[in-house]
Amino acid sequence: MDVELAEIRDFLAEHAPFDTLPADVLDRLPSRCTVSYARRGTVVLRPGDRGDRLYLVRSGAVDITDDGHLVDRVGAGSGFGMSALVEHAPTRYAATAREDTLLLELPQPDFDALVAEHPAVAVHFATTHHGRITAAITQLQTPARGSAVLKTAVRDLLRVDPVSVAPSATVAEGARAMTEAGVSSLLVMDEGGLIGIVTDRDLRRRVLAAGVSPDRPVAEVMTPDPVTLPARALALEALLEMTGRNIHHLPVVEDGRVLGLVTTTDLVRLERSNPVYVVADVQRQADVAGVVEQAARIPAVVGQLVREDASAADVGRVVAALTDALTRRLVVLAESALGPAPGRYAWVALGSAAREEQGLGGDQDHALVLADDADPSDPWWAALAERVTEGLEACGLPRCDGDVMATNPRWRLRVGGWRAQFGRWSDEPAPDAVLQAAIFYDMRAVHGEAELVEGLRAEVVPLGGRSDLLLAHLTAQAARMRPPIGFFRGFVLEDAGEHRDTLDLKRGIAAIVQLARVHALRARSTALGTGARLLAARDAGVIAAETATDLTDALELLSYLRLRHQAAQVAAGEAPDNHLDPRRLGSLDRRHLRDAFAIVRAAQQGLSSRSPQVG
Amino acid sequence: MGLRELLPGRRARPTPGTALADLAAASAVDPRTPLAQVQLLALDLETTGLDPRRHEVLSVGHVPVVHGRIVLARARHELVRPQGPVGESAVHHGLTDDRLAHRPDLALVLPGVLEALRTGDVEGAEDARPVRRVLLAHFAQIETAFLSAACRRLYGTDVPLQVVDTLTLAQRMLRVPTPELASGRLRLDACRRHYRLPRYRAHSALTDALACAELFLAQSAELAEQHGRALRLADVLAR
Repeated sequence: MDVELAEIRDFLAEHAPFDTLPADVLDRLPSRCTVSYARRGTVVLRPGDRGDRLYLVRSGAVDITDDGHLVDRVGAGSGFGMSALVEHAPTRYAATAREDTLLLELPQPDFDALVAEHPAVAVHFATTHHGRITAAITQLQTPARGSAVLKTAVRDLLRVDPVSVAPSATVAEGARAMTEAGVSSLLVMDEGGLIGIVTDRDLRRRVLAAGVSPDRPVAEVMTPDPVTLPARALALEALLEMTGRNIHHLPVVEDGRVLGLVTTTDLVRLERSNPVYVVADVQRQADVAGVVEQAARIPAVVGQLVREDASAADVGRVVAALTDALTRRLVVLAESALGPAPGRYAWVALGSAAREEQGLGGDQDHALVLADDADPSDPWWAALAERVTEGLEACGLPRCDGDVMATNPRWRLRVGGWRAQFGRWSDEPAPDAVLQAAIFYDMRAVHGEAELVEGLRAEVVPLGGRSDLLLAHLTAQAARMRPPIGFFRGFVLEDAGEHRDTLDLKRGIAAIVQLARVHALRARSTALGTGARLLAARDAGVIAAETATDLTDALELLSYLRLRHQAAQVAAGEAPDNHLDPRRLGSLDRRHLRDAFAIVRAAQQGLSSRSPQVG
Repeated sequence: MGLRELLPGRRARPTPGTALADLAAASAVDPRTPLAQVQLLALDLETTGLDPRRHEVLSVGHVPVVHGRIVLARARHELVRPQGPVGESAVHHGLTDDRLAHRPDLALVLPGVLEALRTGDVEGAEDARPVRRVLLAHFAQIETAFLSAACRRLYGTDVPLQVVDTLTLAQRMLRVPTPELASGRLRLDACRRHYRLPRYRAHSALTDALACAELFLAQSAELAEQHGRALRLADVLAR
């Protein structure tokens, strides 16, 4: 038989994975297929259906949904229905025609034969299938806020006004308009309505390659009636439309009016701010310079999260995860340069990094916990600490002023050494040493043998909780961190230095952190996060339920204001700090801030009156 | 429009044993049959012109539509050697005398078409009793007129066909006045654009038959939505 279904054959030849097939296989494939049609809104597959064929979208588009959540949008040249074929089980997802859709169907026996003979085809469909499962699971795991593409509306991606011409304009005029505006696409508008689009690719293919005169009207080379998106559509939908249709520009329309244009570049930029991608990219780096390069993306990630209105607690966790990723990668790189570690150990984060409550601009606080059979005097440990610390410094995390870092031999101890150290802090506390010690009660393994740290903390936390002296010192410390309660009236502000006339948000945050730490110790809880500690203290009856709630809310507010402040600084090219100018706050934020400080103050007073006192 | 209207009066019985007799013996489809159960044969002919008395068939393309699906495995495309030269018409279909010189005569191709117009053909006995397939074409007058003329020439008679015409459906659904007959093919592209169906670059009898079948699927889906119920054959049959 001739290749008489040449149109179908050519269509298949243009799309993965069929483009990899030998010509004779491709020639025979169309005659294996049937063609069906689904009107917009028609359900093509229901979950649980026994799928017996692979569907390929010939024209139109199909939405793949999992329990109502959009998992993928399939455009011309892409397939669906493979979950049943790959798994030999009932269909997982619903497939609904989003537009009037022409479908090419390949029956299961032919699909099986194709997959058996052509591994590339098998890999393609297994990957697509796997990708959809991953997407579906991701959706399940992000009930409230997901990645930026799930959360951001295309309206928020529009940056510049689109460039447009009338249909009667010549191709040359259109090209000039694009060049002048520095854009890669041109909208063709007739009486205010969008009738077509011309892209760089069109100019190349339909004008230059086709030998069309640039004096012809632009209407002759445009793509008529381009696909558009409503302004409220999610970036995810734009992403799916673009990948599904292999296009790079999508006009955004509201009430028949073109608001602007979303491009693949916009989406790539957005998606690169996804913390998951940053973590993955960090893990791929082969040298310190690469890790440093990835670290530079973190402020943008935080900025994006703040714009998405993520909670400060969420952002803290994300920053901690990113810092952990940097640290882990640096440790692994150091290990591969220095050779294997001379013993079992854990690299631990201290302070806010351990509590996963970092903002931007924090410094380094870390230590090493070695197994009892390791030799702390081995120069390998110091070399590791120096390499990692230096790397983190290059990543923008300054060294700790108080030298609470693994580079300090005092903080490279065996488990037994740490146990003795915590014992000294509990039993014979010299006030200054204790104040410095507080940070060590916030200790979390980042790399290595986490159980060394867990075992240690399980011992020393109850020990500290039983020490009235330690509790008294920590209580005094928490009470001394006076939040600027009076700022609302006359602004109690920093009165000297470069942060004059600003409010140090860290003081309010630190007060709550210290309160939570001492309460958790009293509750003998090994919880690390401030919120978790307050809950543990509440459950143990150490503090009233409303105190726990109030302090948690106050912490969230202060941290949120700090984040917003820092994100704005980063956006303006400044170094992030904790010093907020209260005159730049709205009246509502100011009132809330005053309330937050009042809560902290009340909690401090309550603590002082009920706790052991030191002179 | 069926052949009945083109050929008023009595019709002779076809000679037994011929493909035409087998088609005549197959039962016609009850117009009340749900459309989803009807089998159709999308057919397109490339010809040297529009008048079956003066012009000739150069190629035949057909593909069945079975229970709402186009069955590509049964798509067929035959080139036909004409008695005379293709002349100027080559401009339209790209079929040259050279290309057709070694192709079979219409007399050899026609039985295959008549077989495809009913079930129970050589490829399998799917029904106890053969049933006719409804002829599906865009501007079906060309196909019916040339088929009828060929049958009368070869068998001395012809068989009435049930016809679905996507051009008639388009006119009815879009409520447009009768278009220029000569622009049938352009109209097929225009109708397909209306449904955003893919654009076909090359034209051949089979491509056009497939294009027509796809258009029909789109039209019947829209029509069913307009009616708010599943269609019957009568809803789309040419009147």
